[in-house]
Order: sequence, then structure tokens, then C-alpha cells
Amino acid sequence: MIEKSVEAKGICKRYKSFLGTGTTVLNNISLDIDVGEIFGLLGPNGSGKTTLISIFSTLIYPEQGSLSIMGLDARRDRGEIRKIINISTAKPNFPWSLTVRENLRHYGMLYGLYGSGLSRTVEDQIDAFELGDFRDLKFEDLSTGIKQRLSLAKSMLNHPRLLFLDEPTTGLDPDISIKIRALIRRIHEEENVAVVLSTHYMPEAEMLCDRIAFLRKGEVVALDTPQNLKNHLGLGERVVITYSGQADIGALGRLPGVLGLKSEIGRVEMVIDRSEDSVDRIVKLFQEAKILDINIKEPDLEDVFIELAR
Amino acid sequence: MNWQGELNKYLASAYKNWIISRRNIFTVFELFFWPMISLLSIGLLTRFLKVDESMVSFLLVGSIALTVLQVAQMDVAYVLLFDMWSKSIKNTFIAPVHSYHLIFGALLFGIVRGSIVFGILIVVSRYLFGFDFQRGGLLPVLIFLAGVFATAAVIGITVCISILTFGQKADVAAWSLSGLILLVSGIYYPVDVLPPVLQMFARAVPLTYFLEYYRSIFIPGPHHLATGIFLAVFYLVLGLVLFDRAIDRARRTGILLRLSE
Ligand SMILES: Nc1ncnc2c1ncn2[C@@H]1O[C@H](COP(=O)(O)OP(=O)(O)OP(=O)(O)O)[C@@H](O)[C@H]1O
Ligand SMILES: [Mg+2]
Repeated sequence: MIEKSVEAKGICKRYKSFLGTGTTVLNNISLDIDVGEIFGLLGPNGSGKTTLISIFSTLIYPEQGSLSIMGLDARRDRGEIRKIINISTAKPNFPWSLTVRENLRHYGMLYGLYGSGLSRTVEDQIDAFELGDFRDLKFEDLSTGIKQRLSLAKSMLNHPRLLFLDEPTTGLDPDISIKIRALIRRIHEEENVAVVLSTHYMPEAEMLCDRIAFLRKGEVVALDTPQNLKNHLGLGERVVITYSGQADIGALGRLPGVLGLKSEIGRVEMVIDRSEDSVDRIVKLFQEAKILDINIKEPDLEDVFIELAR
Repeated sequence: MNWQGELNKYLASAYKNWIISRRNIFTVFELFFWPMISLLSIGLLTRFLKVDESMVSFLLVGSIALTVLQVAQMDVAYVLLFDMWSKSIKNTFIAPVHSYHLIFGALLFGIVRGSIVFGILIVVSRYLFGFDFQRGGLLPVLIFLAGVFATAAVIGITVCISILTFGQKADVAAWSLSGLILLVSGIYYPVDVLPPVLQMFARAVPLTYFLEYYRSIFIPGPHHLATGIFLAVFYLVLGLVLFDRAIDRARRTGILLRLSE
């Protein structure tokens, strides 16, 4: 029984330029990912998410480090690894003049499917990703969302045991994104596929991922569950009050449980720790004034992200 | 992996090329128009020059070989060119396929298209110019075609290697190789008329030997078929090894990713 989908130690990747001064894109990345989890890679543009996923999927090779994918050595057993993994990326590209069905057949053949097994797998994926209405449309005539679904369908052709998804919902409208997230959950839960995904979109990571690694400038700066990440960074809830009249802002800042405070005329914004009964005490300080609006927002990964990307 | 699955890994590239070529209006030009133009110009030239029958055969063999070569080499190179144009190269190289699956699958389709062109050209040249391609029996024809297709494969592989090594625009340089081969391998003249330096190059090109062999049926003369076969196999193996290394290098330099963006 394999327990780790990815075991990476000391992965480094440099791109050499013409002048010989290379840029380090990944620096000493070490990660262990369990088969049973959906693992998220988060980070700002250029932090190395795509590069790392490409290395994990044996598409490109690192200069240094050891890597094992589904218990197989990424240097020695590349051929075996490629049989049991697959990938789908944002803005996917396929041969333009092939239709949805032809594209799936072509890639199915590359994975060694044949005969009625090939036809059945292609039809199954067309059904699973609701591509029936588009099966005879050429790739160049598809909308972004359908292209993305075709890409996911292609990534399931070989019934992979480990699936890499590089920004699976980037560029899609919210409706389709929700659908795709549901599909990813289903693939993971019903078909027992290990999933490693990257995303820019924090709520997506929060919704889907069991654990998250934050990348910044090619290094892992944090790695934990979404909940722990929020807790560890001491990010409290955000309270925004708009009011008219007088309020003692100074006293507000001294209240226990108020971690941070920003104020302007008629509006005050605080970060609080709710365990201290702080909301009640805050509201009491506004007795002289009239509260027009009060808004309490739970911390989310967006806040963690901003904190970590600093 | 059973043999059917393995076979389909080869056929995948042929399937892709077939569909793309079926949808491409230029296929008609590639298979009918341009081949006819070059055959007719050479055929009519022989009439104008009033050359004898054996010389007509000499020139028509050259013209037909060149046309078939060009069609087939395109098909081999298309295996990566299509992927590059549509930026889908990483989907191919994430799959468990080897360079030889891609090359031989594409070559298979090249052989089909090349054979169609060959068939058209021999029928037309028989009616218009009285050229009897089968004078020496069927075997020499097959050996000759095999030599042309092997040369096409080598040129196609060279194009693929240069794309992976030097990126997008490199295919132009590689196509020029086919022009050089035209110059030195004696498509329209015997190799002896070349300056000595070029003759050396000519001796390194397998096509030279296959042309000499096939022509020796129409104009008896010496030929070194064995050398041609040896060279063809040697270049094919070397090409595949270098192609593998080019893929490996592209994975290390990340060019494989950049070609997909
Ligand atoms: N082939 C290449 N040659 C040179 N530099 C490269 C190459 N590919 C990527 N880079 C650089 O590596 C860095 C990391 O890129 P990568 O695409 O992995 O980041 P990312 O986290 O996926 O970014 P994004 O959020 O924009 O997708 C970037 O600075 C990029 O410019
Ligand atoms: Mg990226």
C-alpha cells in the first residue's frame, strides 16, 4: 500500500540564461504529500507553482534533489510514473483542428488504449465532463470553460492514481468554477485519485485542500491545513463599524481582544480575537454614537496569503 | 503492455496527422498539384531537349524521388510541428511514449501519403512520357522507395531535433537540409558532375545510393546499394538517439514548457 503520492527532498531548479547567470526558480523544496489528501500549492505569480508541478509530473527535470512519485523513483522509473499520473493545466492547448472526441481518442492512444476499451473510455469521459454537446466541435471553436473540461477529461483517460491540476479554474466564470471544483472532489473521493493542485484563488484552496504549501520566490514559506494556517498567523476576525456621532477610539484600542485598529471619521476597522467577549465590549463603547452598520468577517486564506507574501 | 496497446502508441501520431491532413485544404496541393507541376515540368523539359528514352527515365526517377521525399519528410516533421503550432507539446510528453513511437507513427502516415503520390506520378508518367517504372520488377521499386522514405525520416527527425533544441523558428534551417540533399544527391544529374568536395557530401547521403541503384535498371551502371542501406540505418538510429537526447535536454532546460505557453 503506497502512502505518499509525492516525496520530494531538496528539489532545486535553475534556468540558465544566455549570459550564464541563471535564475533560481525553486530552491530546496522538500514536501511529503499523502495519497489520501488534496494538496494545494499557493503563491503569487512567478513563485514556482507551475515549475514544481511540472517537475512532479516528470515533464521537466530538476538539477538537484530526490523525488519519488507514488513510491516510484522519478529518475529511474519515469516510464512507469507517466502511466499512472496525468495533468490538466489552466489555458489548456490541444491540436486545434481535432474535435473533442478526436482529441480524446488521440491521447487515449498515446496512453496505449485500444479497441472497444478506447472507445468506452472516451465516451465515459465525454459523459463525466458533460462534453456530449461539443463532441464534434473542433478544439479551436470551444469556449474556455469547455476547453478546461476537455483538459480534465483528457487527464482522466488513463485512470490516473495521481492527478496534477495547475490552476484548474483560472479564467472561468464562477458557475463553471463551482462545477469543476465539484468534479475534482468527486474524482478524489469516488475514484480515489490523489490530487495536487495549484491555485491563485484562496477560497478554492480553502474549500478543496486538506493541506496547503505556500510558495514564495521558489521556497515553501508555510505548510499546514487551512485552519492551522489561519490560527498560527494570529489572524483574527475583522470588524468594520460605520457610525455617526462620538466614539472613544482611544479606549477602543486599549480593549483586551482588539489586536489592531484603523480609524477614520465615521468608520473604524479592527482585527479582534472573539474569545475575549470583545464584540460586546466594543459595542458598549459606542453608546454615545449611532451605529449605522456593523460587519464581522472571518479571516480567510486571502489574509494569510497577504501576510505570507509580504 | 500488450501488443495492441503498444501498436496504438505508434498509430496515435498517424491518427493525428491523418485527421489534420484530411481537414487541411493544402493536402490537395501537397498530394496532387505540386507533384504534378514538377513532374510535368521535368517531363516537358525532356521533350524540349529531345533526350533519349533512358535519359527521360533518369530525370523522371529524380523528379519522382524528390516529390515523394518532400511529402514524407513533412509528415515526420509534422509530429512535432503540429504540437508546437498548437502549443500542445507538453500533453504529448507527459504521456508514456517514446521518441520512436512518435517518429515511426508519423513516418507510417508519411509512407501512406508518399505512396499515393508515387502511384499517381508513375501512372501519369507512363501515359505521358512512356516511363516504365517496373522494368526491373517490383522488388527494386520497393527498395528504392524504402531508401526515399528512410531519407525522409532522417530529415524529419532533424527538423524535430532543431525545434526542441533551438525553439520555434529553427525548422526553417532544418528544411534547408532537404535543399542541400537535393543539390548533392544527384536528383537531376549524376554525382560525378559535382565538384570533388560536394561529391564527398553526396557519398554521405543514403539517397544518392538508392537513386544510383534504381537508375541502374534503366541505364546499366555500377551501384553500391549495401552502402546506401547501411547509411540509411545508421542515420536513422543516430537520429533517434539524438532526438531522445534533445527531448531530455528540453526537459532540463524547460524549453518543453516554454513551447507550450
Ligand atoms: N523556461 C524558462 N526559462 C526561464 N525562466 C523560466 C522558465 N519557465 C519559468 N521561468 C521563470 O520561473 C519563475 C517561476 O515560474 P512558474 O511558472 O513556475 O511560476 P508560477 O508560480 O506558476 O506563476 P503563475 O502564478 O504566474 O502561474 C518565473 O519567474 C518565470 O519567469
Ligand atoms: Mg503557473
